[in-house]
Amino acid sequence: MKLRNPFLAPTAILMAITMLAPLAIIVVYSLLTRGAYGGVELPWTIENFTRLWDPVYGVIFVRSFWIAAVATALCLVLGFPLAMFIARSGPRKNLYLSLVILPFWTSFLIRTYAWMFLLRDTGIVNSILQALRIIREPLPLLYNDGAVILGLVYGFLPFMVLPLYATLERLDPSLLEAAADLGARPWDTLVRVTLPLCAPGIRAGAILVFVPCLGTYLTSDLLGGSKTVLIGNLVQNQFTASRDWPFGASLSLALMAIAMVLLFAARRRGEELL
Amino acid sequence: MKRGLAIYAVFAYAFLHVPLLILAVFSFNASRFSVWQGFSLQWYRAVATDENLIESSLNSLIIAIVATAAATIIGTLAAYGLWKRGSAWLSGSLYLSLVTPEIVTGASLLALFQWIFRFAHLRLGMHTVILAHVGFSLAYVVVVVLARLRTFDPVLEEAALDLGATEFGAFWRVTLPYLAPAIAAAAMLALTVSIDDYVITSLVAGVDSQTLPMVIYAMARRGVNPALNAVSTLVVFGLGMLIMLSERLRRT
Amino acid sequence: MNRRTFLLGATATAVACSRGPRLNIFNWSDYVAPDTISNFEREFGLRVRYGTYESIPEMLAKVMSGNSGWDVIFPSAEYIQPMRDMGLLARLNHDWLPNLSNLDRQFQQPPWDPRLEWSVPYMHGATGIVYQKSLGWSPNAWSDLWDARLAGKLTMLDDPPEVFAACLKTLGYSLNSADPVQLKAAQQRAIAQKPLVRAYLNAEVRDQLVAGDVAAAQAWAVTAAQAIAAASERSDGVSVSKLAFSFPSEGFPRYADNVAILRESTRIEAAHRFIDYLLRPQVAAAIVETTHTAACNGAAQRFLPDALRSDPVLYPPAEILARGEWFAPQSAAGQRLRDRLWTEIKT
Repeated sequence: MKLRNPFLAPTAILMAITMLAPLAIIVVYSLLTRGAYGGVELPWTIENFTRLWDPVYGVIFVRSFWIAAVATALCLVLGFPLAMFIARSGPRKNLYLSLVILPFWTSFLIRTYAWMFLLRDTGIVNSILQALRIIREPLPLLYNDGAVILGLVYGFLPFMVLPLYATLERLDPSLLEAAADLGARPWDTLVRVTLPLCAPGIRAGAILVFVPCLGTYLTSDLLGGSKTVLIGNLVQNQFTASRDWPFGASLSLALMAIAMVLLFAARRRGEELL
Repeated sequence: MKRGLAIYAVFAYAFLHVPLLILAVFSFNASRFSVWQGFSLQWYRAVATDENLIESSLNSLIIAIVATAAATIIGTLAAYGLWKRGSAWLSGSLYLSLVTPEIVTGASLLALFQWIFRFAHLRLGMHTVILAHVGFSLAYVVVVVLARLRTFDPVLEEAALDLGATEFGAFWRVTLPYLAPAIAAAAMLALTVSIDDYVITSLVAGVDSQTLPMVIYAMARRGVNPALNAVSTLVVFGLGMLIMLSERLRRT
Repeated sequence: MNRRTFLLGATATAVACSRGPRLNIFNWSDYVAPDTISNFEREFGLRVRYGTYESIPEMLAKVMSGNSGWDVIFPSAEYIQPMRDMGLLARLNHDWLPNLSNLDRQFQQPPWDPRLEWSVPYMHGATGIVYQKSLGWSPNAWSDLWDARLAGKLTMLDDPPEVFAACLKTLGYSLNSADPVQLKAAQQRAIAQKPLVRAYLNAEVRDQLVAGDVAAAQAWAVTAAQAIAAASERSDGVSVSKLAFSFPSEGFPRYADNVAILRESTRIEAAHRFIDYLLRPQVAAAIVETTHTAACNGAAQRFLPDALRSDPVLYPPAEILARGEWFAPQSAAGQRLRDRLWTEIKT
């Protein structure tokens, strides 16, 4: 089937090389034993999977999902009006779109450091709040889950805005006018006309934000003070400091399996993401 | 409503750009640390003379442009192909490439390459990085273009066919223009993802393919370094100019 | 000039620049002076490509294939023996290293490579406690970091061996311990400390110390030296700093980074020349001045400014150093256990 459709051929080849072959390697690794200094060696074992049942890892998974979900919801709420603004801005829309993307062409790391700089106890936000006498002592804005979520929202907003824009842009304003003419209030129009029409975009954006958030580790390291372990940190650790590639492989397979289940559960006929 | 949206947009853009402003301001700081101690251009001078930085910026640019072009073209074709007639395993593998953590993609690609290199006398280099970048950007392109395709009425293509166009002609002259905004958005997304990628790139890069994020990451890990502020301010400034320019051109 | 021409030109330039075999050096970031490499290139007529890494596992992942393209690397002491066992290192030819005698006496026969067959010590340091003098008291022992007065203003290193080392030392054990009982006890200490910890930070803590956000931090000597220098002012011709450093009384970890040549290298002689160049006292001194690290090069001491030479953080007296313990390689089982315990600490 894949070769019969010429449109799909290049993608098929690329996916085979960059996705499926490495996946096969990951599966193989997950069944091997860690080498003394990294890498893998025989014997074959399923120990890496039985290890997953430890409740410690369950807690980590749940916490990671929770943070990713909150960040995604916030991205949606914050990104939707922005996407709508851009879609309706007429001839200037490419300009506004580029302005959304522009910050993200600087390094993610540097932007995160900029936020750390802003949120520190002696940082600008606290200094202003104290100068305005709103607070007496500096607020602990950094090194907690809230800061991590802020960082995630900041980092992934364009991944929500772009797909939303892509579907909103096609939205015919006359449809909305028609709804208004028929007596619908703006909120009703939003919920019953606009949202359903751009549902594919919402789903796309939600996936593009939620999934990377699950695997994030830099944000929780930097903005969270490295105090909590999320799945991303755990996996990252296995492939670097702990040099336990097989366990890292089984962890990722578990993560990927859960994410795939969620993705398929959220599918609608005719509106699949991919 | 339009006014409300515009006001909201101002705040949203402020949220997005304030950290950049901070970075820009402190790129002119005379002191190395986060306390303002006078105006100075020393960090810009340091950046301009840093061979490592310049070489890695060039690498990043080349990789990003090539990978984005390839991913956008291939991904658009794939989205179209999937829309016309789905392919379960292709969708599945694209899904997978989205849900795999970067470290896993990177480590497994590294393992794959190193295994291949035992038979072919090759090394890690620009080619491996570009290949990896195209690989992980594809899914993003497909998702965005496909979302737009879902709102496209197939009747239009059928009409074109009825009027005597070839299948490819219908695609080229009817569907593709409709997809243009989505393709542009997808290309921007792919470019963003590629130019800022650290984890995967650092694992599959060779000796000759140090990229800007790798150099920045190294500098940033040692603490605040205003040279980095200078770099990002330059990037933003340069790109900002480009955007203004293209906007000016569009208006003529 | 249109876009295409520019790109072609740029690509051509890049390709041209990379023609001709370069010496590929892979080092920790921030570990040479600005002109170290360019001076070497000029004097020996060689081109150098200089790459950096942030952690040994990252470097190992690249070079383990034996086909990475790098020639010179800088492994930490506890990795020399494992890398040698994996067949990754090239044997050093001392005939090409006349400057070896410049090494400080304590590094001429280091425990991890007594005959310097595989590596040459480069820079060394220790881990201790940096604190604000405004605290009013001096945390001179690891156990002081469990003091409630530091709540919310304390940071520890985000490095499992280091955190375990501190905890093990408060209990009087060796910091290289692989004994499950001892490690579990150390883990309990770390968990008890966690509510007091503001964040787990590595070199990034320097900024926060200077700004005053952090009152006490577990830190490497090099970070401490840089922070102290940054937070100091001159008064009456003497430099006085807001920060101070202490070597904990229970004992502390010592580390040393070494330079080595990869067996896969095709430029073995040039690599030796580079190592020999690094062993020159003036070169080492220049690096120390830039990076505030302590060189293993004894002859370099002469060329250092007084302030650095007598810096108690970088060059403490021998009786203090005697309390230090070198990191040693962990067995696979020991590493597994530590990793598992570390995950539990962080959760």
